[in-house]
Amino acid sequence: MDDRRRRFEAQVLPHLDAAYRFARWLARSPDDAQDLVQEAMLRAYRGFDALRGSDVKAWLFTIVRNCHWTALKQQRRRAQVPLPEEHDTLDAQALISPALGPHEESIRRDEALTLQRLIERLPEEYREVLILRELEDMDYRSIAAVTQVPLGTVMSRLARARLALKKHWLGQLEAESRAVP
Amino acid sequence: MQCPESLRVQGYFDAELDALSAADIERHMESCADCRALYQELQQLRTAMREELPPVHAPPELRARIARALDQESLGHGAAETAPPWPPRRSRNWRTGSFWMGAISGLGTAAVAAALGFVLLTPLRTAPLVDELLNAHVDSLLSTHLVDVVSTDRHTVKPWFAGQTDVSPVVADFEPQGYKLVGGRVDYLEHQRAAVVVYRHGAHVINVFSWSATPRSIAGKVTRNGYHLMFWRIGDLQYCAVSDTGWDELASLTQLLQGLQ
Repeated sequence: MDDRRRRFEAQVLPHLDAAYRFARWLARSPDDAQDLVQEAMLRAYRGFDALRGSDVKAWLFTIVRNCHWTALKQQRRRAQVPLPEEHDTLDAQALISPALGPHEESIRRDEALTLQRLIERLPEEYREVLILRELEDMDYRSIAAVTQVPLGTVMSRLARARLALKKHWLGQLEAESRAVP
Repeated sequence: MQCPESLRVQGYFDAELDALSAADIERHMESCADCRALYQELQQLRTAMREELPPVHAPPELRARIARALDQESLGHGAAETAPPWPPRRSRNWRTGSFWMGAISGLGTAAVAAALGFVLLTPLRTAPLVDELLNAHVDSLLSTHLVDVVSTDRHTVKPWFAGQTDVSPVVADFEPQGYKLVGGRVDYLEHQRAAVVVYRHGAHVINVFSWSATPRSIAGKVTRNGYHLMFWRIGDLQYCAVSDTGWDELASLTQLLQGLQ
């Protein structure tokens, strides 16, 4: 095994779990997530010489995310839907669509919504900042680098994502606790 | 209606504030029930996300697949592709402004400008500028570096700029009209030391940036991430007011400032 490969395995492969975890939130199935991470690792390996010391995890995540978007563009399976941008008036309610997703047809609306499902229903650009902050413990500047938006956008998206989750999830908890006699 | 400090409470929760700002927010939370509740909710949400979501690990077959792919790569192609360095090394290195500039540099500038809704005369050079201004504005709100010189007296602020920057902007207090002069600050903008005059309007901070204008003046309005930016030029000074107030409030201040000239 050559030196470059050894350095790659020492520096990048320890982030495989995290990369796969991130990919699971981006891709639509575990199989897609595996394909995504494999492709990202291969690209990371090819571009490894360009990495200069800094935050390896954020670098790898940037590649995972880029691969994801490239794959999406190639597939063009989804209809193009304009993403909601930040507005002056924050409407957290509107962030999480009340309509059930395609995988949830069998789930009735009055069933308990898990936290996971609520997060899955956030628009992608809000979900990713939330995941990177809360689950991967990245700071704002790393999140800005991975998602390629300015720092202010990271903060406003994070605030909106949290507000939307709070309204739905904490509301859910309160409803449940009231239901318990 | 959210407390205007909610973004800084979030910053405090995420350990993104410097020590002085953190102490500032701790004091604020003692007196603000909304912000105390917000902090508690942020904690609840984090605990839930970190404890209730099922742990995810890369499956063993993925590790094996990657190892095979890397073997093949090492054997087959040998030479590595030349990729641009990461993170991109630019003027501000790891700062997000330059990262963003790098991210959009490959796209058609006109298309980017159109997509972002610019109504400016010179979209070619304003896209990075808007990011610079916005980051400077947001940084000023998050850190304790809102003002370098605290004063409600224009006779203090204006001479202070003379020693700090190359420009001498219009400085005035409009407290009767609702725009209280808070002080002045120096920010780096367009590769020069820009003078920033800071006003408070109700709960909102308005930063008025000014710097030496280039031959192509910028005028017009931009909204980005909920912040409004209004550009105008007087003589050889380029101005830009940035805030999350409404357009009318921002326009009133710029009219007051332009009327002084």
